[in-house]
Amino acid sequence: MNPLRFTRRNLLRGTLAATAVVPWLEARQVRATAAPIRRFVVFTMPNGTRNSMFWPTGSETSFTLQPLTAPLEPFKSKLTFLRGIRLNDSLQNGALGGTLGSEHARGTGGMLTARPLNSGTEFVSFGNTTSGWGSGQSIDQYLADRLTPPTTFKSLQLGVHVRDTEVRARISYSASNQPVPPREDPQDVFSALFGGATSTPDAPNPELERLWAQRKSVFDLTNAETERVMQLVGAEDRGKLEAHLNSMRDIEQRLVGATGTGTGTGTGTGTCATPTMTNVDLAVDDQYAQAGQLQMDLAAAALACDQTRILTFQWSYAESEHLFQFLGLSGNHHAISHDFASSGANYEAYNAIQSWYAEQLAYFLAKLDSYQEGDATVLDNTVLLWATEIGESTSHDLMLMPYVLAGGAGGKIRAGRFIDYGNSPKDNNQLLVSIAHAMGADDLTAFGDDSGATGPLPDLA
Amino acid sequence: MRRTLGLLLPSLLLVLYGCSGGSNGGGTTGGVESGASTGGDPPDGEVRPTSALCPSTELPRTPLRRLTRFEYANSVRDLLNVDPSPALELPADEVTNSFDNNARVLTVSSLHAEKYVLVSETLADTAVQNLAALTACDSAARGEDACALEFAQAFGRKAFRRPTTPEDEALLMSAYTAGRTDGSYAEGIEVMIRAALQSPRFLYRLELAPPADAGQALIPLDQFELATRLSYLIWASGPDDALLDAAARGELSTRDAVAAKAREMLGDSKARVAVANFFRQWTSATRLETAGKDTALFPEFSSELRDAMARELPAFVDYVLWAGDRMLGTLLTAPVAFVSGPLAELYGVAAPPGSESTPALVNLPENQGRAGILTQAGFLSVQGHPDQTSPVLRGKFVRSMLLCQPPPPPPADVDISVPDIDQGGTARERFSAHLTAGASCNTCHSLMDPIGLAFEHFDAMGRFRETDDGRALDVSGEIFEASDPTLAGPFIGVRELAEKLADSEQVRACVATQWFRFASGRSEAAADACSLGTLQDGFAASGGDLTELVVAMTQTDAFWYRSL
Repeated sequence: MNPLRFTRRNLLRGTLAATAVVPWLEARQVRATAAPIRRFVVFTMPNGTRNSMFWPTGSETSFTLQPLTAPLEPFKSKLTFLRGIRLNDSLQNGALGGTLGSEHARGTGGMLTARPLNSGTEFVSFGNTTSGWGSGQSIDQYLADRLTPPTTFKSLQLGVHVRDTEVRARISYSASNQPVPPREDPQDVFSALFGGATSTPDAPNPELERLWAQRKSVFDLTNAETERVMQLVGAEDRGKLEAHLNSMRDIEQRLVGATGTGTGTGTGTGTCATPTMTNVDLAVDDQYAQAGQLQMDLAAAALACDQTRILTFQWSYAESEHLFQFLGLSGNHHAISHDFASSGANYEAYNAIQSWYAEQLAYFLAKLDSYQEGDATVLDNTVLLWATEIGESTSHDLMLMPYVLAGGAGGKIRAGRFIDYGNSPKDNNQLLVSIAHAMGADDLTAFGDDSGATGPLPDLA
Repeated sequence: MRRTLGLLLPSLLLVLYGCSGGSNGGGTTGGVESGASTGGDPPDGEVRPTSALCPSTELPRTPLRRLTRFEYANSVRDLLNVDPSPALELPADEVTNSFDNNARVLTVSSLHAEKYVLVSETLADTAVQNLAALTACDSAARGEDACALEFAQAFGRKAFRRPTTPEDEALLMSAYTAGRTDGSYAEGIEVMIRAALQSPRFLYRLELAPPADAGQALIPLDQFELATRLSYLIWASGPDDALLDAAARGELSTRDAVAAKAREMLGDSKARVAVANFFRQWTSATRLETAGKDTALFPEFSSELRDAMARELPAFVDYVLWAGDRMLGTLLTAPVAFVSGPLAELYGVAAPPGSESTPALVNLPENQGRAGILTQAGFLSVQGHPDQTSPVLRGKFVRSMLLCQPPPPPPADVDISVPDIDQGGTARERFSAHLTAGASCNTCHSLMDPIGLAFEHFDAMGRFRETDDGRALDVSGEIFEASDPTLAGPFIGVRELAEKLADSEQVRACVATQWFRFASGRSEAAADACSLGTLQDGFAASGGDLTELVVAMTQTDAFWYRSL
């Protein structure tokens, strides 16, 4: 990462002029909210789980957490364990698109799209293809388009040590072959969210306003040019330029001084304040926790300040070989995740890593729960999907996905339950439809590949 | 129907010599001559190849190419004469099949859009600090508007890689006005630069020359589009004024002329950086930046060592391509290294004077059996796990990137775990399960492991070792199921492997295929048979000259045409 250069002009022009948020916070804090603001968060970690130590024991409403989720005990009443969700047929071994890509890759690309990866000649082998990129829009991007939340960021993608730029590192897609990359540098996220220079009626900044006006002119000129060029290219390239145009329009408002008109509040124990930043070296595995905490602080602030209502938060990449020396462990995560033994060093190491991830989620949930919104908290008004790309790690299973929801989506989800679909497994399409319904896209009947079942999950509300 | 590469390549090997063999005397580029700039029939006196594969009757769709971050940085460096490092704020490009320039997936997300705006502002700000270097026009004498228009035309031509149209000039002048209103002349120029850098005409390599008729399968490029392809092929940057002038004069109208121009451009230092980028990606050296090692096992693996590893490959490529014999064989076998910082110690050689930060050439100890790129510490670190070597990854690299026979993915329900290093023993012992566990593992792993195990004298960060876990190492290996019979039979150690590979037609054809993917920003398909044949033929005819491989791309139909 090149260091930001804090020249006088760059303070105005560069990343730091991206948005103007902080002065508005006061006003937001006192605004009452009629209907709850609902948020959707995806929180992913790599390399599956160990079912025997993941799922609660007990009944739907009276259950006991097991070691891999024990750190979530304080939020038990706000969790919904969903046992019995499988990736749909198109993502399963040997079926339909199920030969496209490894389970890690498929589980990543299919997690939020419920679609197989594209076939393609990108990865050709002896008569057995692997895959291309994701083949359709992911639910987060669908909801961003569909709900057009009045927030500064229609959606936000954050990552921690994702590093990889291949198919196994992309969960969010705006369309087929259009992965949405996450932001991995907390300093960059901070700049975008809490970027310094502002101009308000009380404290006008003429130079900044001139910059905004210039930007507006350039947006108008170049967007019109893109529209002209679109008429001159073939259909597929037109789609690519259309995505370009959509992206430009998506960022335009916040770069010309208009923040979103979101009405999130940030009263209570937590406040919608600028997080404190420290320096981390993103290349050092041992600073994973520090980098992650900064990103979680920023993510929580972005949600609480109503800078965005749709957020993906991605730890590392699927099949991650991240090291956990800071937990006193040797060996890399993926290798450890395949240990078959039912005891021994790797068995314990895997438990330690998975529990550590649960601790990170607990930290994030605590943050969200600290922001009061009327009688509820931001967490109560959120539907958070905790996910990983495969099920049982040793077998690359995609039939029993370790999915857990956190939060109540403003009353749309009856949390504090352990739902076991038992002998009647559900397709991940249904989960994504349920999330859409929880977010207010009530009329969505199906999402993703046709091989998956339609409609929402039963009995969630 | 989809043809797999494994089938395509061997068949090409058999027939590629027929591709152009009847029409040329075996010149160094394959000599496929056809006037293509105007489409239709070749001009008099030029002969199209007549084999079954050539000429191409169709091409796969050629997708619109967005500049990669690397191309963006080089382009703004050449346009504005500024330090391009602000471009590093752009998101890293998605990697497909080892390369970060596959056009299909290079799109513009909101994050890209934001960075395009902000980076252009930083660059334009820096550029106008030295306005005199950007434009010689004397605005006091000639008037600001006249100078602004002159700049719009000259700068616009370079930024958009073709002469500006009245519409281009109107756009740029509107941006100028937006800056000049309430601002200075320099600020007007600054906003004009921003608008140019945010224009789709800069960010994409647009190819819009219309087909001669609606149904035309192969659409010829115009001179400026050819100049742009040539420039990004060899410089990874936009055409300079001289190249645009040549295009304006119509000097890129024959394949011979373009080959000559390509050779001339290879003499420019810009070509070194650009060509090295191919080798970095081909060997996945780009992943070194984020490669971690267990520091309990590899305490020496510091950021200084990693940086030194990263500096070695470009220095070595420079040595082979620009100071040496340019041969693929040398790239694969030369027992030399370029050391800087702590890398000398890792290789067990004395650090030459001045090698603290600048890579210096050293001969490697004979007894280590090192050979070219395959035993560079950076390569061995990337093709390994954080805690142990990976015979599988090393073998897979040879199989996929040098033989173009990627192994099939593991079957369902197979344990693909890496052995627990704590179980002890050598890697050969630990990985032996692959080769004894029955056909399902063996089929695939016999293609990789017997190659990768030959690398075992080098640990997970590329340091030479006599033993593993206290036991002597067996580095015998074998390449099974290669298409090229000269590759068959056992060998011992990486040196012997490298020497086999260096002499193999299959390897030469595969390297040409890799270059094709990189050069065209897409995967090959059946309709590329003529182009691939031309490229492989040209490379083979040169005896494996890597700079001639670069040139040979300009002789392919894939280079001369586009397809909707």
